[in-house]
Amino acid sequence: MKEPLLILDNIRTGYNSDPVLREVSLEIYPLDFIGIIGPNGGGKTTLIKVILGLLPLFSGHIHFPSGKPKTGYLPQVSQIDRSFPITVKEVISSGVGTSGKLLPFLSSNKKEKVRKMMDEAGLGGLSSRPIGELSGGQLQKTFLCRALIDEPDLLILDEPNTHVDKHFEQELHEWLKELNKKMTILLVSHDIGTISPMVKTIACVNRTLHYHPSNQLSEEVLKVYNCPVDVIAHGPVPHRVLKSHGHE
Amino acid sequence: MSELLTILDYQFFRHALAAAVLTSLLAAMVGTYIVSRKIVFIGGGITHASFGGIGLAYYMGLNPFMGAAVFGIMTALGIEWVSGKGNIREDSAIAILWSLGMALGIIFVFMTPGYAPNLMSFLFGSILSVGKTDLYTLAGFFLLTLFVFVVFFRPILYTAFDPEFAKVKGIPVRTYRYLMSVIMALAIVLSIRTVGIILVLSIFTIPQITAMLFTRNFALIIPLAALWGVTGSVAGLFAAYYMNIPSGASIIFFLTIQLILVKLIVTLHRQVQRRSG
Ligand SMILES: Nc1ncnc2c1ncn2[C@@H]1O[C@H](COP(=O)(O)OP(=O)(O)OP(=O)(O)O)[C@@H](O)[C@H]1O
Ligand SMILES: [Mg+2]
Repeated sequence: MKEPLLILDNIRTGYNSDPVLREVSLEIYPLDFIGIIGPNGGGKTTLIKVILGLLPLFSGHIHFPSGKPKTGYLPQVSQIDRSFPITVKEVISSGVGTSGKLLPFLSSNKKEKVRKMMDEAGLGGLSSRPIGELSGGQLQKTFLCRALIDEPDLLILDEPNTHVDKHFEQELHEWLKELNKKMTILLVSHDIGTISPMVKTIACVNRTLHYHPSNQLSEEVLKVYNCPVDVIAHGPVPHRVLKSHGHE
Repeated sequence: MSELLTILDYQFFRHALAAAVLTSLLAAMVGTYIVSRKIVFIGGGITHASFGGIGLAYYMGLNPFMGAAVFGIMTALGIEWVSGKGNIREDSAIAILWSLGMALGIIFVFMTPGYAPNLMSFLFGSILSVGKTDLYTLAGFFLLTLFVFVVFFRPILYTAFDPEFAKVKGIPVRTYRYLMSVIMALAIVLSIRTVGIILVLSIFTIPQITAMLFTRNFALIIPLAALWGVTGSVAGLFAAYYMNIPSGASIIFFLTIQLILVKLIVTLHRQVQRRSG
């Protein structure tokens, strides 16, 4: 078996001093593609933030057996200040690797890299557009480019499919499948239906974490995991919406 | 026109002009940071808390602007610290420091025996009495800020826009936040000399709002805000002299009139374009 990329060992974390997540353990291996699902407020974003080192651990450990991987991160749309006066090009440039030092100006080949990436994503004509004037899909693409520009080993996406149409979802699906050949992906969604065909395995997060080593989940298993999420018909997943059970 | 310019023969007016220009250039950079991050309220807190320092310095017979600088920096760092903690409401903390600073200032000024300091000059500025030392201080700090904004432009922008992503990218976010807090405090305190406590925030916001009628690009807002700041404050200064009105108030009045006029022209221009296009 390969060495894990990162290990969460019985962690407890949250904001201020209230724990949101307890007894969370998870091993993530290179080239995993894990869908993180759970109800609103279940702690999906919290889990991601603790992995990214943005939240302190109340207890437990995080290990990176072969060092911290280069990480690309796409935050949840609701956390982005869309009225901030910044252009598409600047946002994507902010993802360019710094190797410790951040020079005042991008080197010309880094600039070229940013330009190429924008063209590939179909953002070429929007380069100097402020982010406040983008559609939902264009915004998601911009932030996806920012996460990818540095060619990360670990890609963490927090609900990249909010406010986008079926067409973009399909495009995203194809992109991620291709990217997963080179990088490990964590994909958050509260809708198991849309992500289950993309991901390899699933983690259910509702105050704690249940790992499910396949991309198929039945209603019964979700119940056992205490993970009330919308189940929309996709292959073998039963077509019914589960009721919330409340935790504790 | 030449008659209008005879005023330039007076040294005090040349100094005032230089102070207005330098303050506008300084405020163009710092104000763009403030407006983009939507932390005008923090600027208000720093401004008013610094009055406590002015009062204390008077009471102890020290340089009032030193007092203001110390109180301003402490307030700015305190607010940044509180906002990082997350368990105290930031806006409440600002409100407390805001009014506490004003209260302390008034108490100390009241307790100062003998000659009562000219409160009006702190509340509304005294640009016509700016001396050489003031100008050198202002110029020095302007150059320092310019240097920081050029060399650290990217981390300043990135930590202002999305501090969590910046942190993931390995940028020392806290360091930059504290650095910007100190720069913000000193810029505000130095500008109080020009336009006074009551009006100082406008010089950090009105030129930016005018600039944002043309661009929503952080890097372009700064030079445009500098342009609008300089034109508005120089016009305001001339008007203050010839109409014999307080200069700080006049500068703010001209900055605002300018904003309204530019907004009007931009709107009309767009309408004409739409009709012909
Ligand atoms: N900044 C914060 N300060 C305090 N509590 C927070 C903060 N952010 C989230 N929480 C709390 O932590 C819990 C988990 O939130 P989290 O954002 O991780 O949920 P989520 O699973 O990502 O939900 P969603 O699907 O709505 O994005 C919630 O109860 C929320 O109230
Ligand atoms: Mg979330």
